[in-house]
Amino acid sequence: MTPKELKQILQALVEHGVNELTLETPDYKLTVRRGGEVQVVAVPQAVAAPVPAPQPPAALAPALAAEAAPPPSPASEGTKGVDKAEECAGCVEIKAPIVGTFYRAPAPDAPPYVEEGDRVEKGQVLCIIEAMKLMNEIESEVSGIVKKILVKNGEPVEYGQPLFLIQPL
Amino acid sequence: MKKVLIANRGEIALRIIRAAKELGIKTVVAHSTADERSLPVLLADEAICIGPPPSGQSYLNIPNLLSAAIVTGADAIHPGYGFLAENATFAEMCREHGLTFIGPTPENMRALGDKATARKVAREAGVPTVPGTDELESVEEAKRAAQEIGYPVILKASAGGGGRGMRVVHTEEELERAVQQAQEEARAAFGNPAIYLEKYIEEPKHIEIQVLGDGENVIHLWERDCSIQRRHQKLLEEAPSTLPLETRKAIAEAAARLARHVGYVSAGTLEFLVDKEGNFYFIEMNTRIQVEHPVTEMITGIDLVQAQFRIAMGEKLWLRQEEVEVRGHAIEVRINAEDPEKGFRPSIGKVETLLFPGGPGIRVDSHLYAGYQIPPHYDSLIAKIIAWAPTREEAIRRMERALSETVIEGPGLKTTIPFHQKVLQNAFFRRGAVYTNFVARRMEV
Repeated sequence: MTPKELKQILQALVEHGVNELTLETPDYKLTVRRGGEVQVVAVPQAVAAPVPAPQPPAALAPALAAEAAPPPSPASEGTKGVDKAEECAGCVEIKAPIVGTFYRAPAPDAPPYVEEGDRVEKGQVLCIIEAMKLMNEIESEVSGIVKKILVKNGEPVEYGQPLFLIQPL
Repeated sequence: MKKVLIANRGEIALRIIRAAKELGIKTVVAHSTADERSLPVLLADEAICIGPPPSGQSYLNIPNLLSAAIVTGADAIHPGYGFLAENATFAEMCREHGLTFIGPTPENMRALGDKATARKVAREAGVPTVPGTDELESVEEAKRAAQEIGYPVILKASAGGGGRGMRVVHTEEELERAVQQAQEEARAAFGNPAIYLEKYIEEPKHIEIQVLGDGENVIHLWERDCSIQRRHQKLLEEAPSTLPLETRKAIAEAAARLARHVGYVSAGTLEFLVDKEGNFYFIEMNTRIQVEHPVTEMITGIDLVQAQFRIAMGEKLWLRQEEVEVRGHAIEVRINAEDPEKGFRPSIGKVETLLFPGGPGIRVDSHLYAGYQIPPHYDSLIAKIIAWAPTREEAIRRMERALSETVIEGPGLKTTIPFHQKVLQNAFFRRGAVYTNFVARRMEV
């Protein structure tokens, strides 16, 4: 499932007032519940099931916000793109499709999904964005080499924020 | 409350930032990619992008908005007007995530949310609504109802809206034919021939009452006259109205009674139609801050947006009804990026030259700046100019003076300023002869 598809499912749940949905495919099983508790059980073949964030987001957020408050100047997406592209000609930017907290690993004590210099395949999970206690796996849109990881573990990310630079192969 | 996420854009986002700054509350503006260079984004303490330009994916995107509040450490959300402001589910979800929703409770919204429920609640509170029927079964039933209500009456399609399928009937002789025609029109327009009947209110004024509630107490801040409308869109509002004091008082007290009946929290507005005899009928309640709130602020000296914050923080009403004083007269014009010469067609462009009016008694609420590109994705309101003066006549002259100073120019950019100048010069407007069909009848547009 692509992040876009997941986002569409989440939006559809909210828009149509659906409280629970289970989706089963040969590759994974996804259960989403709305209301007091929200959780996802994802069982991708290659990757361990993500576990909840190391700390509750409410407690985590103020510290993160202080550390990584977006600048008051309206940095445009276009400008950001140009800056990043200069660092790596021909690279593809993987952007955040949703707002949330960026995690590089499926669990606090687990190794990161990817490191700079790694070779990744299209569709491979690069990171997690946690939004409303939902763990959203973000996949690579291309096959290539991870040239740069632009966000630190645990930082909040906004919609459209570049997360990775990947040199396509 | 330490930090508020503003789930809106444009002039109202800016208005909320201003209120929060004065209260010492930090601000985060949630914005779409189309608004990343907007003035609210520039002036807020923080900004966070929540989606692409279409509002369904950004300003109406509940998961992204809630995430944005959580990751920025906001403890409250102000919805502004439009978008999610009257969405009870959103208010409920804020509550579930430990965020203070700055506005009424979800229960308030549900009690007053749709017109039919609101009418029922109004009747319970002893507030008059427009007399009418449920769906009509027969012409005979229509005749009986019309006789009871009194002519003229209006036939409306149950599935209707926008004036289609509506028919005004003045006498019983016309009624049978009119019922058949209205049913036919309703069938053609909406695929459903069901119609109902209501008292037809001739040349009504659209009067709305501003209220503030804390869940127990409710006070009213008097009325606004919003009769100058085009296709149900308000263009110019003023306060107070030109109605006699006893009528104004009766409407305002009825409004406060209704709001008290539902235990209303925060700022809200109750809309009424008022006929030539001073009879008034409740239509609906807007459970949010309104575009035209500044005229009430100008005549009462009460900051309504700050009041919303204080009530959301749990403060009990700090004013008694008798402490609300009305001083002078205020008029607001809505400046839209529309071409009044061409059927109010939206006019998109870049603002190259900008000069807002100033001087005594003038207030401008606008998110424009020179160099600002008006995005095509949202509504066309670009500025509100408010004039205050001791009397209505002086306020009109002050507004004319203010509009003559105003420059909003750019390639191809048209605004509604010339239209407002014509309204202000209109002899009927000058003597307060305004009602909801004023623009259609007196302005030749």
